[in-house]
Amino acid sequence: MAMIETKTEPMVLNMGPHHPSMHGVLRLIVTLDGEDVIDCEPVIGYLHRGMEKIAENRTNTMYVPYVSRWDYAEGMFNEAITVNAPEKLADIPVPRRASYIRVIMLELNRIANHLLWLGPFMADVGAQTPFFYIFREREMIYDLWEAVSGYRMVNNNYFRIGGVAADLPYGWVDKCEDFCDYFLPKVDEYERLITDNPIFRRRVEGVGTIGREDAINWGLSGPMLRASGVKWDLRKVDHYECYDDFDWEVQWETAGDCFARYLVRIREMRESVKIVRQALKGLPGGPFENLEAKRVAEGPKSEWAKNPDYQFIGKKIAPTFKIPKGEHYVRVESGKGELGIYIIGDDSVFPWRWKIRAADFNNLQVLPYLLRGVKVADIVAILGSIDVIMGSVDR
Amino acid sequence: MAEEAKQEGTQAEEQGDAKIVEAGKVSSWLTENGFEHESLEKDHSGVEVLKVDREFLLPFATALYAYGFNYLACQAAYDTGPGGDLVSTYHLLKLSDNADRPDEVRLKVFLPREDPKVPSVYWIWKAADWQERESYDMYGIVYEGHPNLKRLLMNEDWVGWPLRKDYISPDFYELQDAY
Repeated sequence: MAMIETKTEPMVLNMGPHHPSMHGVLRLIVTLDGEDVIDCEPVIGYLHRGMEKIAENRTNTMYVPYVSRWDYAEGMFNEAITVNAPEKLADIPVPRRASYIRVIMLELNRIANHLLWLGPFMADVGAQTPFFYIFREREMIYDLWEAVSGYRMVNNNYFRIGGVAADLPYGWVDKCEDFCDYFLPKVDEYERLITDNPIFRRRVEGVGTIGREDAINWGLSGPMLRASGVKWDLRKVDHYECYDDFDWEVQWETAGDCFARYLVRIREMRESVKIVRQALKGLPGGPFENLEAKRVAEGPKSEWAKNPDYQFIGKKIAPTFKIPKGEHYVRVESGKGELGIYIIGDDSVFPWRWKIRAADFNNLQVLPYLLRGVKVADIVAILGSIDVIMGSVDR
Repeated sequence: MAEEAKQEGTQAEEQGDAKIVEAGKVSSWLTENGFEHESLEKDHSGVEVLKVDREFLLPFATALYAYGFNYLACQAAYDTGPGGDLVSTYHLLKLSDNADRPDEVRLKVFLPREDPKVPSVYWIWKAADWQERESYDMYGIVYEGHPNLKRLLMNEDWVGWPLRKDYISPDFYELQDAY
């Protein structure tokens, strides 16, 4: 037990679940000694909807619309892992074009996720302005998604076993390139505004530090892990989808504090733009306009219509697709870290077990450890730097 | 490597039965060092699955930790069916810089439904903290030695274990049956 410096009773303070800087419905029971935090207990579950239970009586086609509500800042990652799990269990091949489209969507989503992290995080440390800038850029990504899937933030319902639901619409590739050209200077703009701002620096440097060994032991992943000096990115580790085709770097930092996490995320946005650009350039079959024109000109028997590499989905699976007997654990590197599914198939249309390993659920459990001994004003800065979405923590 | 391969070969010859699972790398290492266990069939992505008795989970986990499995990626539980065993699983991997498809292994502990108790691995991998609490919450598996084992996602006064296969949702009726 810590020594009480103020020689008074410790104060127990309740924060949340309805609190503007709790990032959703998170409740913290904080024990304070004056300004110092002695202990903290997070209480979660306010947004628990039983997503694992729901999965147990939904076929994959029925379930995909639900999953963008786990982590509503990165619906595409949730959809990706939801189709990857049964797809890999049944060894269903994905056409190269579909794989490229998936990567484009995932990287756009990584940008959207980091943007939605940046705004509230800056608001947590007292800078409200970036909030409005990030929404300006994020709207562009949502416009792109609206064009491709019909929906903006959640419920894209775009991923399917064996590919994606629809090809990119007419002119989409150009628009996406425009977005990349537009967005990259905006990241520089954020950096000019934020990175060397003395108030921001003093607010986050050396705050919420976690070392390399502790980060691994606590099961952190994503930017939380990479900011603590571990060069670990599942896109490089697992070689899933077609990330090997692109030239990009894993971003990491060694300081392990809130500022390091900020740097990692900012740089990851740049890397994502790099990947999106390469993927657009290398998209098998080119933009949809090209495919359409070639198919009309050279006929349905031509390579343009037949070659599986140019399809947006492989053989379409039946609605009665049975998940084969067997089990495995698949994962993707989402914006927040390792998002995994432990699936057990039972040769039935429903999965026997659908365990969701959410990245921010595992990142959030380190919070009491990080908060012990800090000042009360640093609570929201540290919580903000973890990047939690309660829909995904509670599932 | 050569030794391991040889040992696997001899084991396979001795058994001479296609159904018996060949021991993988981690499994052979454990056997060499005197940790008796049963290898289950590898999972679909080729990850070794080891069946461990609950009495020996902690020595096993410590040995694997010392062997380099420093990262508990996923602790999960599942129900084998009404009346069947509950299972607590631990997906471990060797996390390092610039890793490329590192070693992975999954431990499974089968627990009788009447007495689902298993030691907590919290003291080895802190990552088990909330994951074990969630497994307790959903399946009623008691992780002995966990510092704060109480319900995580469900209300603290919830009765029953929602993800067990014999769980009946309270006060649930189909809307079409109500008139």
